[in-house]
Amino acid sequence: MSWNRRDFLKNTSAATLAAMAAGIPLTNLLSSCIGKNNTSTADTVILLWMAGGMAHTDTFDPKKYTPFTKGMQANSVLSTFKSVPTILDGINFSEGLESIGKVMDKGTLIRSYKAGDMGHILHSRHQYHWHTCYKPPQSVSAPHLGSWIAKELGPLNPVIPAFIDIGQRFTLGEGEELKAFHTAGFLGNEFGPFLIPDPSAGLESVQPPVGMSSSRFEKRNKLYYDLISKSPLGEYGSDYQKESLKRSMEQAYILLKSPEAKAFDLSQEPKESYDIYNTGKFGLGCLMARRLAEQGARFISVTTEYEPFKGWDTHDNGYTRLIDMKKQIDGPIAQLIKDLEKSGRLDRTLVILASEFSRDMMVEGRPDAKVQEQVEQPDVIQDIKNYGMHRHFTEGGSMLMFGGGIKKGSVYGKTADERPCKTIENPIVIDQVHQTIYHALGISPDTNYLVEKRPFYTTPDGLGKPVLDLFA
Amino acid sequence: MLLQYLAFWLWDFLGHLHPLAVHFPVALLLFAAILELFTLKNFNSKLRHGIDALIIAGSLAGIISAVLGWLLYKNGDYSGNVLTLHQWIGFTTAALGVLTLISLYQIRKKDKFKQIIVYRGLLFFTAIGVSVAGHFGANLTHGGDFLTSTLPWSKDHKETKPTQKFDFVAFKAKAADTTKLDKKQEVELSTEVRAILAHNCYKCHGAEKVKGDLRLDGKHVAFKGGENGPVIIPGKPEESELYKRISLPADHEDIMPSKGGKLSQKDIDIVRFWIAKGAPWPEDGSKATVFRVAKLEPRNPVLPATSNNLTNPVDLWTNDYFKKNRISWPALVDDKIYLRRIYLDIIGLLPTPADQDAFSKDTRPNKRALWVKKLLSLDNDYALHWLSFWNDALRNDYSGTGYITGGRFNITDWLFKSLKANKPYDQFVKELISPTEQSKGFVEGIKWRGVVNSSQRTEMQAAQNVSQVFLGLNLKCASCHNSFISDLKLEDAYAFANIFADTTLEINRCDKPIGKFVDARMLWKELGTIDAKASVAEKRKQLAENLVRPEDGRLYRTIVNRVWAQLMGRGLVEPVDIMDNEPWSQDLLDWMAFNFVAKKADLKELIYQIATSNTYQLPSIGFKEVAMVNNPNYKFKGMVRKRMSAEQFTDVVSSVITPVFVDSNLRYNPFAEAIKGKLQAKPTFIRASLVANNGFLTALGRPNRETVATSRESQANLLQALELTNGVMFNNVLKTGAERWKANYPNTDVLIKEIYLKTLGREPAENEFKVAKQALGKSPDVDAIQDLFWAIVLLPEFQIIY
Repeated sequence: MSWNRRDFLKNTSAATLAAMAAGIPLTNLLSSCIGKNNTSTADTVILLWMAGGMAHTDTFDPKKYTPFTKGMQANSVLSTFKSVPTILDGINFSEGLESIGKVMDKGTLIRSYKAGDMGHILHSRHQYHWHTCYKPPQSVSAPHLGSWIAKELGPLNPVIPAFIDIGQRFTLGEGEELKAFHTAGFLGNEFGPFLIPDPSAGLESVQPPVGMSSSRFEKRNKLYYDLISKSPLGEYGSDYQKESLKRSMEQAYILLKSPEAKAFDLSQEPKESYDIYNTGKFGLGCLMARRLAEQGARFISVTTEYEPFKGWDTHDNGYTRLIDMKKQIDGPIAQLIKDLEKSGRLDRTLVILASEFSRDMMVEGRPDAKVQEQVEQPDVIQDIKNYGMHRHFTEGGSMLMFGGGIKKGSVYGKTADERPCKTIENPIVIDQVHQTIYHALGISPDTNYLVEKRPFYTTPDGLGKPVLDLFA
Repeated sequence: MLLQYLAFWLWDFLGHLHPLAVHFPVALLLFAAILELFTLKNFNSKLRHGIDALIIAGSLAGIISAVLGWLLYKNGDYSGNVLTLHQWIGFTTAALGVLTLISLYQIRKKDKFKQIIVYRGLLFFTAIGVSVAGHFGANLTHGGDFLTSTLPWSKDHKETKPTQKFDFVAFKAKAADTTKLDKKQEVELSTEVRAILAHNCYKCHGAEKVKGDLRLDGKHVAFKGGENGPVIIPGKPEESELYKRISLPADHEDIMPSKGGKLSQKDIDIVRFWIAKGAPWPEDGSKATVFRVAKLEPRNPVLPATSNNLTNPVDLWTNDYFKKNRISWPALVDDKIYLRRIYLDIIGLLPTPADQDAFSKDTRPNKRALWVKKLLSLDNDYALHWLSFWNDALRNDYSGTGYITGGRFNITDWLFKSLKANKPYDQFVKELISPTEQSKGFVEGIKWRGVVNSSQRTEMQAAQNVSQVFLGLNLKCASCHNSFISDLKLEDAYAFANIFADTTLEINRCDKPIGKFVDARMLWKELGTIDAKASVAEKRKQLAENLVRPEDGRLYRTIVNRVWAQLMGRGLVEPVDIMDNEPWSQDLLDWMAFNFVAKKADLKELIYQIATSNTYQLPSIGFKEVAMVNNPNYKFKGMVRKRMSAEQFTDVVSSVITPVFVDSNLRYNPFAEAIKGKLQAKPTFIRASLVANNGFLTALGRPNRETVATSRESQANLLQALELTNGVMFNNVLKTGAERWKANYPNTDVLIKEIYLKTLGREPAENEFKVAKQALGKSPDVDAIQDLFWAIVLLPEFQIIY
């Protein structure tokens, strides 16, 4: 625990009070015993989600740069950006990621992620696989990574929801497909994500309804309890449903009134710091994640937001659009790492940057098992809109991990320098990623629940192995 | 080298003394604290010297225990959170003990009497510490459920049922003289033993997990033994590792099962007896199942004689059950509760004050039955309510995965019309399995783009969903490998799935093709045959015809149980998807299923039968934990309290306060034709079953229908409470409602009475009226009215169906 003593006292007392007020029996606070062992290196996880497929060769694993010229051969292009040095000797990033490059001495760069093979590419299926560790469809509803963590460890600070998801709207294309994995599945709604589609309006989710004054909110709450106490409860009393309804209403009230809720209020952030983060929705999401981590959030996901053909889903104009994407992420991510380190929280906070798969200009799917192409790519490029990584590539990919016991200033895995730029050393698959996260949190790899009498594990059949080499 | 070795075993040995040593500080310090209580008035009482001695001994013993505990931790294989907790509490307590001793010393030797309060505080904390540390320590050795598992409502409560039909004492008496059992006895005994092995050992010594290289799930492998050789020596139980290990003391390190607690003495005796008799394992025995399998064929038990003026057959069976279980009939619920129940259960809405008034003024002796009939005749409302139940079960929704790539089909139009027309259930099932274009969404499943796991191809989805929904049978395990929870084999699942397949599917075991194929066939050969060569359409048709025949007691028991569970809050069989489990009354289930078929599989008739029974009119039963409802030893005493579903809640708000949805939310319009023909007035609000899922409905428990869902969570949670407390949608609805009500009810007193009548079905009590009136003030503004609405619809009294 990296809180200083005063913080600790303040937080634990608030937490304990909240828990007691909310009537959570002591056994609930201890129920995570089964799944947890005492060797954890992290208490909090922040997932920075590069939605839509981030090309490794144009971000964290640059290859030979070929500038745009009319009439160029598409097959000759491996990277559309120059390489720039990072703080690590001999390790370069793609231009536009200089700030993150400067904090790489605080984390590990993974250059060998291999996405699942599911044939004809559909983003939401790969995202489902990444977030649940199971390939859709499944015969039971699989829980999101964050839900497993919420279930096993519960909230770090009881007034802050254990699983918070920042930045994704579900009203866009493939929204239904996204909903399918933004769920606690069979673990039950209680462990589902607390959704904040727009971080700048995040406060609205944790304060009295818009337009309701604090005094009116108090009055309303008092009225509720007055009426409950007068309602002929005895007759229908001491009920499971009744108790759970009352308890959750109390929890909601406590959250909405708690000082911790201020973490959701970005206007409380000093202007100087706010400006560094304010590169758009994603940057502000990073800021909120930092503020929530400070208040004891357990699992926070911040996404660049998935919308078909937007963001990292570059079916055209890859080069031009990546300039903008990098501007959105570079400053805020670097600042997040620096801030967490400064406050001493980085040691117990695991920050992960990932994407559902990578991209390539030529190869769709895997090099040796090409699947139905979805992007037209002329062999000779005349127009800059065809200059970029537009096809979906699953055989290589980059991830970043910071804090939470992960090695500092380290590089893991390797991809080929020539097309296909696929993983050639220390491949990592999603089962390992999940188990690595659980390992850091001290959640046993055997964690499972019987669903319809069958055991359902955190990773398929409980076989996922953590990558111990990633840990310091 | 030697020293190191010595050191190792010595530490180990000392560590093992920890569980023994800890009893000293616990006893000594606790006793000291108790005695201290008697000296509160007079510190230097006669007890003082004794207490001093206890504290000296106790705190020293505490330190020793802590050190030994540390050694045990270093050399033992304990880990986990309980350990951490135990450790830290233990160390802290040891330290507290020392501090207690020091402060005592200060008082006794240096006369610092001011410290008495400090000393006593320390002592009592120490006493609490040893107790808590001791508790967690005990959890580590005996397991956290050591105590609670003996409680009847615990989910770990040991059921004594599996062996109840096997009368071991009688069996032993009969077989004692004979050295060799006869064939029948061999089968009987070995089946029993294999049941014991299956329930207790397969988990670690089966096909999936082979601990110690030992498998006990087959004759050959069981006799082959494990890494240390054979474990069963026929005729010699004392030399058989299997018997030795299960008969060890419960706290022994080598006891088997290592997890889940020692076997009952009876089970141990049976295993011993079996080995002593030569450990027979006849091949015939292997056919006998170790899992409970429900009978397939229908059964028409003879109704018990009428008594207590009961006429409804459901009540005759309940009466029979009550007699056997020594339960007496309580008084039935009053009119108000009854009316509320049937409204919510049959049409998903609350009775209006006018309805209530009419009902209470109705003097006909059979008015309850007549009102049930009346509600069942409200075709639209009935269909709109039950639509949600069927949408969950049939995985039907307006939006969701699959639609985006044309891999899913909506069946709402067919479903609504079928419910409205009260299609006989056999017809209903046939049209889903052997579908038309309108009803094909269920068996066609959800097809995702790309490659899917072989156990999730649409043909297998159809096999899984048909068996789950219509037969209460879990085929999901067997569609990947032979099931461990039933006798279903991988081959059975593929044979069943092939009914839905164009070409025979290659069998995949855990997603790996094994080069085997199997012809399409029924899961029960008694239910008829399938022409494996026929087209998919033809095969589906044969399946449909086979499934709905009256001989298929399973199909009808399953639906009867589902409807029962909807009305009564718990099925006769639970979970409702595992129909092989034992019902609390086999007779009642069998009779209802048989009678259902006899009454032409009429679902409304079935609901009528249940809703008009005295059994349904019993006072509702609350429960504190879900485990109490799912407990196999559950005793029926009346309807289990339910919570309003997302749709019921929303619809009631719509009807009482203001419509929650607007026309543009409508995803299926059942009244389109009627409105066009001006046959019917437009409904006053849009029912929740007709709109796409949204954040609000999801939070209240509407499932995303990617997979079959046959029951809903009734537990509230934080995310739900937040949605209700500050969700934009709900807040706006209440606000609009408040504006409407303000205009309609200028008189505050009337307004308060009306909202109570319309939501809770009663007038406010005097003190409630006072509170509400105070909140509203003399001339209430919209805000105040809105807040009153909010408080009322969040009352448990409103949300619970009791």
